[in-house]
Amino acid sequence: MNRKNISLVFKKEIQGAIRDRRTLISMIVVPLIFYPLLFLGIGYFSVIGQRNSENIPSLISITGAENSPELIEILKKDKNITIIHSENNLDDKLVADNIQLTIDIPEQIEIERDYRENNKIIPLSLNMHYDSTAQNSLVAKKRVSLLIDAFRRKIIEERLNKIGLNSDFLEPFREQWLDIAPEEKKIGFMLGSILPYLVIILIFVGAMHTAVDITAGEKERGTLATLLVSQLSRLEIVSGKYFSVMVISAISMLLGMVGLSIAFLVPAYLLGEVSIINVHFSFTLFLLFLLILAPLVGFASAILILIGIFARNSREASSYTTPIYMVAIFLGMISLSQGIELAQPLFFIPILNNSFVFKELLMGTIDWNHITATLISNIGIALLALFGTVKLFNRESVIFRS
Amino acid sequence: MIKVHHLKKEFFDKKGGKIEAVNDINFHCLKSQIFGLLGPNGAGKTTTLRILATMMKPTAGEALVNGYQVVKEAHKVRQSIGFLSGETGLYDRFTPRETILFFGRINGLSEKLISTRMSDIFKILDMESFKDVRVDKLSTGMKQKLSIARAIIHNPPILILDEPTAGLDVITARVVVNYIKEFRNQGKCIIFSTHQMAEAEKLCDEIAIIHKGKILSSGTLAELQAKFQEQDLEEIFFKLVKVKAEGEV
Ligand SMILES: Nc1ncnc2c1ncn2[C@@H]1O[C@H](COP(=O)(O)OP(=O)(O)O)[C@@H](O)[C@H]1O
Ligand SMILES: [Mg+2]
Repeated sequence: MNRKNISLVFKKEIQGAIRDRRTLISMIVVPLIFYPLLFLGIGYFSVIGQRNSENIPSLISITGAENSPELIEILKKDKNITIIHSENNLDDKLVADNIQLTIDIPEQIEIERDYRENNKIIPLSLNMHYDSTAQNSLVAKKRVSLLIDAFRRKIIEERLNKIGLNSDFLEPFREQWLDIAPEEKKIGFMLGSILPYLVIILIFVGAMHTAVDITAGEKERGTLATLLVSQLSRLEIVSGKYFSVMVISAISMLLGMVGLSIAFLVPAYLLGEVSIINVHFSFTLFLLFLLILAPLVGFASAILILIGIFARNSREASSYTTPIYMVAIFLGMISLSQGIELAQPLFFIPILNNSFVFKELLMGTIDWNHITATLISNIGIALLALFGTVKLFNRESVIFRS
Repeated sequence: MIKVHHLKKEFFDKKGGKIEAVNDINFHCLKSQIFGLLGPNGAGKTTTLRILATMMKPTAGEALVNGYQVVKEAHKVRQSIGFLSGETGLYDRFTPRETILFFGRINGLSEKLISTRMSDIFKILDMESFKDVRVDKLSTGMKQKLSIARAIIHNPPILILDEPTAGLDVITARVVVNYIKEFRNQGKCIIFSTHQMAEAEKLCDEIAIIHKGKILSSGTLAELQAKFQEQDLEEIFFKLVKVKAEGEV
């Protein structure tokens, strides 16, 4: 094996990839521009949507208003609540978002203000309907329940006063919660929930087109034969191609990390949730990220090259890579859910381990057992895939399939 | 310069059935000679040439190219040959200059040698005008010239050409044929395959008629004409195939 020959193949593939618009799109445009815009967009619209519905007054229909004029008074005082009078098809109107909430106050005597032992009065029950799938209805529910709560507290206080007590009676102490998580860790938690998943997808997506193009694509176009009769050995050809796929995958991953960090941190900063000054990703942490993602890049590239060499043409290769891509998405997705802890043996499953260790690192945890298991499994499988690729490359039935 | 001795190649089809693509063939080609493998589709031409070009290993028999064994000294064989077929493609996103530079390098030439060879070849093949145009913008004829240039950049003494004119228009095909003659004049040994009788008649110093993996007859055109008492190569071919078919019955 000659390093100069490997680098000749490597340079040729990189040069070809750079001139390929599709590679540029999947390697640079998607991670650096499309991904951040997508997430900024989703975030923007959900914030806007929330703000909008908070500014819209809630239309509430009340039946049996005469049964508790006091409650009606309280509701009326809120500028954001409009009480309308309608009688029929209330639930239909609710579903159609013509009204946002209905309250049914059953016919009963006025709420008991005094409280005696052996009280016989059954508490009044308020029946309210809302639509949990409509944002406006949820806002109405939030508003109304705050008011009802205040009403309840007022009555309790009256009752207590009557027997010579005040509200302290119900509140012997106060709870004070203080979040002492460092800002970095909070951001880590926020990023950790989704960044690993997205980065893992980028590692595959960024390299997929190139990997297929320089293997199955070369077979299809007949250029592979010209390499086979040159002075290059098959191992040199495979190595050169492999390294070029790795580089493209790594670039796509790094750009994705940059793009996504910006997309997450900018809105968080604007909304005042984190102070950006406190964020400092240390150099060691960055190296650890690379330590955990580089083997995944190696793993993904090896698998993609293996598939590309095996396939007859690029179309076949694409249909083989689709399930691989789905499995990657699925394994990556497991890390999305909060609160799952992996057992140590599961840290030998590639992609799953990368995403979990990545998440741990983002939260400031460095578990060398997990890191080691991840490295061993990624590198091991990548080597196996590479070995398989060279084997396949030496098989006439694979190279000259038609 | 090429010696083929009891060469055999078997394939297995999807059902596991044996295909004898090349079945015990013998021939040899000399320096300054154009040797033609003439036969219909599926005769075993491509398989034979691929074995000579070290892309495939024979099932049995042996072949010497420039004195080297195709299996054991594949590396040396590759230094001695230029390979071109109707299917060998070019890299669309590279210019002819970049293409030739790359193939010069992967054939182990020094930068200096590449640049002198390249300017010579570009002059001979009349490629100066488009040497910096991307391949995907070139015409078929220009691409075929580049394919030839690619195959000869390392100045191999032997050229292995698998149906080099297949799929080309008459003008481009003529250009290719003229260069093949030119290479013979330079003393190279050329083995090429074709299914066109007329092409073989015009170009070959020696012809081997191959059918179903076997060489039915070989010799110079004059020898074949004398042997079969026929002027026309096509008639000779059908005579041979008929004789063979009757022999099998
Ligand atoms: N890679 C291969 N796998 C299986 N069968 C093959 C392969 N290559 C060629 N063959 C078979 O071998 C025979 C000879 O093919 P080939 O050498 O391509 O003929 P020609 O070039 O003369 O048209 C055909 O029957 C073909 O189907
Ligand atoms: Mg053929």
